[in-house]
Amino acid sequence: MSERRMAINRLRDRLPVDAAAVDRFVARHGSPIVEGERATFLFRGEADGVSVRHRVVGLPDPLEMRRVEGTDLWATSMVLPEGSRVEYQLETRHGEHHERFNDPLNPRVAHSPMGSSSVCAAVGYAMPEWVHHDPEARPGELHEEVVRSKALRREQPVHVYLPARFHPAMRYPLLVVHDGTDYLNFAAMKTVLDNLIHRLDVAPLVVAFVPPRDRLKEYPNHAPHARFIARELVPLLTDRLPLLDAPEGRCLMGSSFGGIASLSTAVRYPGMFGSLLLESASLVFTDIGFEHGGGPYFDPVVKFVNRYRARPTRPVERVFMSCGTYEPLITPNRSMVPVFRAAGMTVNYTEARDGHNWENWRDRLREGLSWVFPGPQKYVYE
Amino acid sequence: MPAATVLLGPQRFMTTAGSTLRALAVEGPVATITAGWEEREDQDGELGEVLDGRSRNLRLWHRTFDVLGKDERFAAAAIAFRDRHDELQSFYRLRLEGALETVYAVQRRSSTHGTAAAALDDAVAAVRHLDDWYSAQLKDLYREFDAQAPAQESELIAWHRGELAGMLADSAALVITGGHVGSLLRALRLFALPISPELPVIAWSAGAMALTDKVVLFHDHAPQGSHEAEVYDRGLGRVPGIIALPHARRRLRLDDKKRCGVLARRFPHHRLLLLDDGTSAVFDGGTSVASGGEVGAGGEHAAYGPLPHGVRVLTTDGVVQEVVAP
Repeated sequence: MSERRMAINRLRDRLPVDAAAVDRFVARHGSPIVEGERATFLFRGEADGVSVRHRVVGLPDPLEMRRVEGTDLWATSMVLPEGSRVEYQLETRHGEHHERFNDPLNPRVAHSPMGSSSVCAAVGYAMPEWVHHDPEARPGELHEEVVRSKALRREQPVHVYLPARFHPAMRYPLLVVHDGTDYLNFAAMKTVLDNLIHRLDVAPLVVAFVPPRDRLKEYPNHAPHARFIARELVPLLTDRLPLLDAPEGRCLMGSSFGGIASLSTAVRYPGMFGSLLLESASLVFTDIGFEHGGGPYFDPVVKFVNRYRARPTRPVERVFMSCGTYEPLITPNRSMVPVFRAAGMTVNYTEARDGHNWENWRDRLREGLSWVFPGPQKYVYE
Repeated sequence: MPAATVLLGPQRFMTTAGSTLRALAVEGPVATITAGWEEREDQDGELGEVLDGRSRNLRLWHRTFDVLGKDERFAAAAIAFRDRHDELQSFYRLRLEGALETVYAVQRRSSTHGTAAAALDDAVAAVRHLDDWYSAQLKDLYREFDAQAPAQESELIAWHRGELAGMLADSAALVITGGHVGSLLRALRLFALPISPELPVIAWSAGAMALTDKVVLFHDHAPQGSHEAEVYDRGLGRVPGIIALPHARRRLRLDDKKRCGVLARRFPHHRLLLLDDGTSAVFDGGTSVASGGEVGAGGEHAAYGPLPHGVRVLTTDGVVQEVVAP
């Protein structure tokens, strides 16, 4: 049986077509059109050039769109393997003027601290059900506090999550989350925690969501930041809350630079934490010289990772790592797995067909959190 | 004369508790224990309807927290016990995973000169040793806990025990539901319910596990964490020689015969009873020696007493067999 031709090619077969036919085509298909392992991006309007802008490693960026002859419809197609999720924007060119914006034909948008992007989900990708509010799940409580930090020489806000059914006679593990506010706002982490605890996937736990003030300075191996986490925040919470007072009960978590903040804090205070949960950590390094291509903000990162690779240590017992296969950090992350393992740590490494974005990090939370702090499913027989 | 003990399959999708109770033909109130539901213990309206409006909830979960909140000596000892038990479990799991990984590696290895069987026997024995080590350590912890805060010295616990004894004495039957088996066992242990052999008992899921003498936790399909079955605690021992496996179809990889065989071989003095939807295992007289039946044609477990025919067990070959009438 021959494969059905792509919708955009069937339209091209019918050329010339009038504006009404293009209207019907766009109304019927929207954008992008996902057909099997191919996605076709569309744009309608007058321009000297239109392209798809993305950060998918391995695909050309910009991805130029082609005008469908005799119309104001622009299109381009790309391969999109099953289960993929890609964030993108469109860019138009009028003479020398470039303008970048979300795909007006695509209502699906993802948000991040940098703004929003359009989302293209391939066949096989489904947003996990545990991301959505579940009325059956009893909600935990989120308290905003301010911690006076000598290390940081400032007042540091912290959101503390207490699980549903919190009871002072119980003992809870502690998770410290870098970029805490972003995890709450862009990865729905409060809802995710409520749901995963309710489903018994994850143990009831206390979570400290810590936002940075200047993350590019504080996150890449910064002594005051590490001191604040290990010597101020954790002791304070351990003193006030019924926490498991042992390394096995403590985990540091972060994505991107937050991953480096987690690792470097653990390296500075070995034995303090039992686990790390690193999502797309910025584990950039060089094997020779110092040309890493990441710009000056990555200099302290590369110095730290190079130094660690030269003399790997075992600051924690277990590391969960995830990375998107479409992000530039995939190679450094893959490369660090054997380094961590050789240092004696148990590493659970997973990849997803996704990019360097909050929805990728959100979608990996179940796997990561349930590995670090498994829920009590084994105890419950309804 | 000893009354029947009925172990049922899970009740969520196939409710048989009501018809089971009616079949026992007992008159009067039915005591219920829903402590496994924890803070939802009181949300038992549906259960009450199933039991024809005769249920009287013993509220063991709430009583437990009453004791923890008011008896400081007991609460301090209970928290210390829990912390030590948690640590014991973490070391047991750590060692268990390694020991079972060795068993599976031995199973996979080819054997040209017939060494495999002996190697496997010894590897399984090492796992049994570990299970026994954990049980012995736990016994010591209980001994220390009881010495630290003897329940019989607590007026509050004595008061609860007295009230519960009265409620049980007035009941025609006892029903124990499923839920969190740890919470259920803790409550049962604290109040040391005098469950008379003459009192009929119906239990399912965690409740059924609690009636046996050995409670084993298992979940081959949990998203993460240790997937290996692990000894947890002793139960009430009303149905000895049985390891109850509720939701077996959902929770065990029953198609993996080698793995299931190892599970059965770890507990040679027990029968692994599968309690799936619709299962009803009636034990007359409060022990497993009752209504007859042997496992399979060979009757390989005959030494440990017959099981009610029709129930399904996991054999040391890793296969599920229905117990047939002799």
